[in-house]
Amino acid sequence: MRGFDHGNRGIGVRDHQLILPSVVCSTRVSSRIAKEIGAITFAHQHGCGFIGNDVGRITDYFAALANHPNVSSTLVVGLGCETIQGNELADKLLAKNKSTNYLVTQESGGVQGTVDSGVAAAKALQAYYQPTPVLLPRLHLGIDLSNDDLKVDEIVAALTSVGVDITVAASQKNSGLNFSDLMESGVHVILSFPDGNQPASGFPLIPTINVASNSPLHLALSDDFDLSADATNEEIMEKIYSVINGELTTVEALGAGEIIAGREVRSV
Amino acid sequence: MSKQLTAFARADERWGLRNHVLILPLHSALSATARKIADESDGAVAVSHDWSGEVDGDFDRIIKTFSGFAANPNNYATVFITIGTPGELLIIDLAKKLGINKAEVLNVAELGSMSKIAGAGLKIANSLVKEAKAQSRISAPWSAIALGQECGGSDALSGITANPALGVASDRLVELGAASVLGETTEILGAEHLLAARAITPEIGAQIIETVARYERSINYEGIDMRGAQPSRGNIEGGLTTLEEKSLGAAKKAGSAQFSGVLEYADQVPKSGLYFMDTPGHDTEQLTGFAAGGINVVVFTTGRGTPTGSAIMPTIKLATNTTMASAIPDLIDLNAGTIADGIKTLAEVGGELFDLILAVANGQITKAERGLHHEFSLSRMYNTVIK
Repeated sequence: MRGFDHGNRGIGVRDHQLILPSVVCSTRVSSRIAKEIGAITFAHQHGCGFIGNDVGRITDYFAALANHPNVSSTLVVGLGCETIQGNELADKLLAKNKSTNYLVTQESGGVQGTVDSGVAAAKALQAYYQPTPVLLPRLHLGIDLSNDDLKVDEIVAALTSVGVDITVAASQKNSGLNFSDLMESGVHVILSFPDGNQPASGFPLIPTINVASNSPLHLALSDDFDLSADATNEEIMEKIYSVINGELTTVEALGAGEIIAGREVRSV
Repeated sequence: MSKQLTAFARADERWGLRNHVLILPLHSALSATARKIADESDGAVAVSHDWSGEVDGDFDRIIKTFSGFAANPNNYATVFITIGTPGELLIIDLAKKLGINKAEVLNVAELGSMSKIAGAGLKIANSLVKEAKAQSRISAPWSAIALGQECGGSDALSGITANPALGVASDRLVELGAASVLGETTEILGAEHLLAARAITPEIGAQIIETVARYERSINYEGIDMRGAQPSRGNIEGGLTTLEEKSLGAAKKAGSAQFSGVLEYADQVPKSGLYFMDTPGHDTEQLTGFAAGGINVVVFTTGRGTPTGSAIMPTIKLATNTTMASAIPDLIDLNAGTIADGIKTLAEVGGELFDLILAVANGQITKAERGLHHEFSLSRMYNTVIK
């Protein structure tokens, strides 16, 4: 199993540079930086206008994203006046991983200034971090079980017997929230069994293998799934190993993958 | 400058100030496909979001938001991308009831896969963009304008320069017959009695007071004091001292006109008059609610500077201070800091802003539009996590 040594983040199965907007207001700037240097980013609606437990919850969530083993380096892009201050988040991350940097639009000359500085900072991070291909000593697999009717005991037993660590997320009724829980526990790859009424979906940093059910929607959308409902345990395991070794999942190839972070209180 | 307003005529005497083709994914997993279609098209726009069809306490609010956003008069056409769940089909139905100008529906399940949707969607998007470009603006009444008022990244000058200047422009538009909407319930906390006193009836005044109280109750219910979050850290760094100072300043955006009514989040805005809409202070949740209510142009005052915009509503940035306006010029359309500098009067900047709103309504592109800032956020009332 191919891996990438990402220092204190751990050994990952992907080598993603992350441009992390610490607030919705800097998602566009982040996407311009990411596009220019081939990094990963995503839109989200968090970072400001929240109170109570959500401030700590979302800060921890962003920290988990930035410290995920599939991440090589992280550039945090803030606006400046938001609740989650980009520099504080970055300081927190830097304490653990040196391949972290941050930028603030309100102090970087506006949009173009931030894009220019961001591209330079991201390139410097790339130069600082040299990819080191290694072998992945132990796979941590996440299973998203949004499909209630399904039993995964057999595949779990088969994978466990070959030394795979498994975290199952079935607590949320929604693949997106399950993905977030799995991301926070640091899984390398996600095996997703979406509900029959939900399409294939994924998480930006983590290759997500979608297994279809026999629901009418899944049958109609069979091209979007990596495996059909009748895939054997051997086929599932084979797919996991190919994906670890670089094969893109269908959702990865589409560039799909939104992040859905849970919230306790409405915005203010 | 000519004071003539031109716009795109829609059904039911509604008017578009833009002629967008919107690619609207009705499921979060379709967001990437929608973005891909818009990026590769000749000028269609798209939004991304995190709704996966949950049928929960926020269902009605989210359905209302999407249908209103799709039917906004600034859209020449909306291309819905759907997996065909009942909730998604309800959004399309409601958008039609709201008088959507043109609707196209791409059903992923019928076409077979997301990549097939991308190909089919691009073809449809480009043909709609071509049609949209061929349509001409015609002379429009002032009621064609539905102005949204927003402030974000407020500072100590917000209530002295930019917000009162917006108040001047808003008063003038309301007098001419346009609609103008104040939002951000959390940011008028402490100033609601002053706004209530300007309501056209005591009932509407009481409604303003109750709307603010209701918001506070919905947060206090969680055991959290909302007043603890305001003013925000960024506001304090910008020189604001108390919630009351912030609220008194924020309320200045609404000028001195009388309030003709109170709107729930994403309610359709009437043709004329000044209204208050119950929205969060969160900038993009507010912008999304405004767009869903049919607002077609926004003035966004800012002290600290913010790039945020909307995929479908031109969003004019009005700076409160010259220091910021000069430091980050590519975010700012007009600087009201000249009032504090003693260079211009409030009336002069209010007049400049009025002219700018008209120019933008007539097609002049704002900084946020040029930068393709298409942020979108769903406003939810309830928690999305199992605690």
